Amino acid sequence: MLLACSKLTVTYGGRIALKSFDLTLQPGEVRALIGPNGSGKSTALQAMAGLLRPSGGRAVIDGVAVDAIPRRRLARQLAYLPQQPTAPDEMTVAQLVRQGRFAHVGLLRSYSADDEATIGWALESTGLLALADRPLRELSGGERQRAWISAAIAQEARILLLDEPTSFLDIGYQVEIIDLVYRLSRERGVSIVMAIHDLNQAMSVCDRISLLAKGETVFDGDPKDLAETGLIETVFRVRGTFVPIAPNAPPHFDVELAHRQMRDGVLAR
Amino acid sequence: MTPVPGIARNRRGLSSLPALAGLLLLTLGLSVFLGVADLSVSDIMSVLAGNGSPEAQSIILDIRLPRIVTGGLAGIHFAVAGLILQTITRNPLADPSIMGVSQGATLSVTLFLLFSVFLRDPGTTARITEMPLEWLPAVGMVGGLIAGAAVYALAFRRDLGPLRITLCGIAIGAVLHAIAIGLIAGWGSARIEVLLEWLSGSLYARSWEHALFLAPFTIAGLLALLPIRRALDLLQFEAPVARSFGLPYRQHFSFALFLSCGLAASAVGAVGPIVFVGLIVPHLARALAGAKTQLLLPLTVTLGAITITSGDLIGRLVSQADEIPIGAVTAVCGVPLLIALLRRTP
Ligand SMILES: Nc1ncnc2c1ncn2[C@@H]1O[C@H](COP(=O)(O)OP(=O)(O)OP(=O)(O)O)[C@@H](O)[C@H]1O
Ligand SMILES: [Mg+2]
Repeated sequence: MLLACSKLTVTYGGRIALKSFDLTLQPGEVRALIGPNGSGKSTALQAMAGLLRPSGGRAVIDGVAVDAIPRRRLARQLAYLPQQPTAPDEMTVAQLVRQGRFAHVGLLRSYSADDEATIGWALESTGLLALADRPLRELSGGERQRAWISAAIAQEARILLLDEPTSFLDIGYQVEIIDLVYRLSRERGVSIVMAIHDLNQAMSVCDRISLLAKGETVFDGDPKDLAETGLIETVFRVRGTFVPIAPNAPPHFDVELAHRQMRDGVLAR
Repeated sequence: MTPVPGIARNRRGLSSLPALAGLLLLTLGLSVFLGVADLSVSDIMSVLAGNGSPEAQSIILDIRLPRIVTGGLAGIHFAVAGLILQTITRNPLADPSIMGVSQGATLSVTLFLLFSVFLRDPGTTARITEMPLEWLPAVGMVGGLIAGAAVYALAFRRDLGPLRITLCGIAIGAVLHAIAIGLIAGWGSARIEVLLEWLSGSLYARSWEHALFLAPFTIAGLLALLPIRRALDLLQFEAPVARSFGLPYRQHFSFALFLSCGLAASAVGAVGPIVFVGLIVPHLARALAGAKTQLLLPLTVTLGAITITSGDLIGRLVSQADEIPIGAVTAVCGVPLLIALLRRTP
């Protein structure tokens, strides 16, 4: 077991944002975190990245609490992509991705051929080679998001925490990033925890899924089992059905849109 | 392996450094050759060659050169301090005054002059020449550092965020400034001149002692910057991002802050609070460096020296015997520059 959270509790000025959160992550496992806005997904990721001081419980890597690991050593083991990071105005894509190597080169060591190759690989994997020299401020929201993903994977950590990596991407790049996540886990043995809003993408790529509601974990398990609980409909306050799409794949959630009934009603009249 | 494309788009940055170095040499040269005392070029040349009349020697070697060196070093200090502060507070308007450094130095110099005069010569008006001027740099620097430390301590007690630092700095700076002004206002007249001279930022009568006072700080400060350049890059990000890239944020933030306060306070002590250099030079350097961020520091250093040297030259030449203090020149020239810079940024 690589990363483990036990009874992790986070409060913001008295308000509980995450309650007794448990999670275990095996090498090469992809874990999806889903839940409504404000349910505590980002909070959980930040606590796992050692960026928040939990008021109870702890997150450990190989048995050592994350906040006891020196920052640079932690960064070699764990990379974190914030939900809405901002970068300095003038910074270019390549310069941002280079920062991902800081954990390896530190203050003084010069960038080796290996470092440069990794940076090239990270840019290529996110489709950014052509944009490498562009300042971030001149990029579209999706391009910028890919640049941040690129910086996170350039860190070459065993654990990757991604907070909504696909939220600004067009459908083509969404699939590409989901595929990248899958390949990282299967080919490089990277363990990934990913907060994500697209339920079907989450179910299709992850090995295990956690569903949060108001800071509490209401489901933790195999994505196929989630379909049978009916929790999606209650937690997200929607109506829909799980449709099987392939024998061995998790089913797709087909959400019922309110205006569809309305439109059908209008048309029927 | 895919080659990473070089950052080749911006050629301006590359050519601007030699050009600026040339400009620096030119201003330095002009500052040696031009001045209130009318010396012929041949006189100056012979002084530089090691001969010359005693009068010319004393003007060049004891007055102009130390003044130029002191000014150049102070310019480097202000500019680099501004660059560091703007970087780590992510506030493009940051300069040494937001850490309360200038105001702390002002207050300590005011107090020092007040008490030294009072203790030395109670009851009478001491003449300016009797004032312990040789102590001013050290006193100003200590005052600046104390103010910086107070700001740091206040901001540190909660979270050492850039916004909190800025607000604490402005608050403490305002208080210190008000006290200093109050003291000056309630105080005799004859001594005010020295203080006003110092307050407006002046290179008048700066000697080799001032230059020697500054030089160790310049060298130590610039050397200390080299190993933390990558840390400064990371400090441009928000703390969680910098941390997750592997930077112990608090340590590096504190060290960078300490470095900028030390540079600014020593310069304020030597030449008084020269405004606008710390604010504008980093912006100029950024505009010239473009994406070539590795040029930012050398450009800032060169431009810092140029700004003060040329500002002082202008001040000396425009009004001849009644010199305009460098602080006034930088303020007057700085405002249009700032506006021009603001117009070209999107
Ligand atoms: N810095 C903060 N200070 C105070 N409260 C916070 C802070 N960050 C988050 N919260 C609160 O904690 C709760 C959980 O927030 P969190 O950001 O973890 O939600 P989330 O599941 O990531 O939501 P989203 O899907 O919108 O990203 C919310 O109620 C939010 O208001
Ligand atoms: Mg979130």
